[in-house]
Amino acid sequence: MTTKIKNNKKTKVSKIIMMICLSIVAVIQIFPLIWLLDFSLASSNELFTTGLLIIPKKIQWGNYVKAFVDGNFLLYLKNSLLINGLSLVLVICISIITAFATTRMIWKLKTAVKTFLLLGMMIPIHATLLPNYIIYDRVGLTDTIWALLIPYVAFSLPQGLFLTSGFMEAIPKELEEAALIDGCGVYRIILIIIAPLMKSSVATVAIMTYLNNWNEFMMASTYLRSKTWKTLPFSVLEFTGQYSSDYAVQFAVMALTALPAIIIYIILNKHITKGVAMGAVKG
Amino acid sequence: MKKLYSNKWIILSLVIPGIITFVFAILTPILLSLYYSLTDFAGIGKANFIGFENYKNLIKDKVFWVSLRNSLFLALGFIFIQHPIAIITAAILDKLQGKAEGFFRTIYFIPNVISVAIIAYLWKFIYNPNFGLLNNILKLFGYTNEINWLGKGMAIWSVIIVLIWHGFGWGMLIYYAGIKNINPILYEVAAIDGADAKTTFLKITLPLMKPVIQVNVTLAIIAALKQMETVYLLTNGGPGNETQFLANYLYKQAFNSFKYGYGNAISVVFIIICLASTIILNKIFSEKEYA
Repeated sequence: MTTKIKNNKKTKVSKIIMMICLSIVAVIQIFPLIWLLDFSLASSNELFTTGLLIIPKKIQWGNYVKAFVDGNFLLYLKNSLLINGLSLVLVICISIITAFATTRMIWKLKTAVKTFLLLGMMIPIHATLLPNYIIYDRVGLTDTIWALLIPYVAFSLPQGLFLTSGFMEAIPKELEEAALIDGCGVYRIILIIIAPLMKSSVATVAIMTYLNNWNEFMMASTYLRSKTWKTLPFSVLEFTGQYSSDYAVQFAVMALTALPAIIIYIILNKHITKGVAMGAVKG
Repeated sequence: MKKLYSNKWIILSLVIPGIITFVFAILTPILLSLYYSLTDFAGIGKANFIGFENYKNLIKDKVFWVSLRNSLFLALGFIFIQHPIAIITAAILDKLQGKAEGFFRTIYFIPNVISVAIIAYLWKFIYNPNFGLLNNILKLFGYTNEINWLGKGMAIWSVIIVLIWHGFGWGMLIYYAGIKNINPILYEVAAIDGADAKTTFLKITLPLMKPVIQVNVTLAIIAALKQMETVYLLTNGGPGNETQFLANYLYKQAFNSFKYGYGNAISVVFIIICLASTIILNKIFSEKEYA
């Protein structure tokens, strides 16, 4: 009896210690963001305090209005959604058909082609910045949506191919044989039989592609000039020059720009957790 | 089936989109880089062929070696600071049941979904000597000297801290998934044998996590080599070239110093280093498994 009580006490103490450890890490991870949110609601004069957080005399919603309007928030959000949506669809479609061709179809070069495409996973994106800048300039793609779509799709494709082809190999061939007897062609087999079975790996590909591209700005700032296709990170990048001394507004634009990604994350929380775990075990 | 599945035209139609994208966006730029790396091209004007001059200069370039050293520091920071905390956090999280588990997991990952653009500027403010969070925290502990976190001698460590902080959730999540895959019966057996938490962690969790740790270490080293965006916005390699990384250096050479040919030589070497490291790391880890 007494040992049981002792044990209970012991597990309780260890549980408290566990909670404290996790909370410390959580505070380190999240406090900078709380600080950001807090400062974004104050006026610039109030920022120079000695305390950690400020209690603003009056909540400055005006910071957010400036951030929303002068940061081109709506335009850049629309561009981000459009460009990421399109690259997602393209990566998924191309991954599936390429995976089908390199795992199911019968031809000599299939392993070579697959290995070749998978090599893309090892190529550092930023090594292509200089030559692509010249290429897009010569071909007239600079400042068009293609200047972002092409590299976004290309650099997400190898991983997409890896994930989908790994999954496709596990699908039994009997299903296709039955469909063939019914007179289905290859394209219909992919569309009607294979694609619906790939849901979970398609979700993983979608999440990895989204996480890779949503926050990308290096290529965007190299290949784009005008506002037309600029994406969400530019709200922040362009703002620092414009409001260089009005710090509170800069805090507001950062908080505002972070918001869509955080909302998407909270909605897709479970899928993202699963996707990252699955996507990581690619090596 | 065989006849239909070996139809050349169908095969071609299926692989052509992927191949075209790859060739246009990845292969052609690399080949073009190779070409420009052998010239003195300045971005505009004529490109003169100068052989391996750029490569010879690169080997003698101190900044090139500083960049590699910084990648090494960053990789060590990931492996010896971020990963141990991540594994321990993941192990504790695994013991925790119910809502708290999901809550903490969500919190840890949030910095990861936020754009590097925001993270870099946020930390610029955190490091700000006048109203920055870090100096204010130090003031709470009675330390009133204002530290210039992004100044000489300090900057590289400040950059590494940001990167460790930003990537923590990702590493943690991968370890967490690995720990979840461990058969719970092993823990029950250990508990019956009277093993305490520490022994269980060292004798069961860690050894079984070996493959996951290997994947994560590989990813960390590659990420350290490829680092660009945070540095570009936080310090742009400065002060001087103290916090320079390869990707940022090649960009700076091409667009700020107009040494486009030289920048491309760095690109080529950069690709070779990344390819070689990936292949070597995979070799090391796969050999160990067979042994």
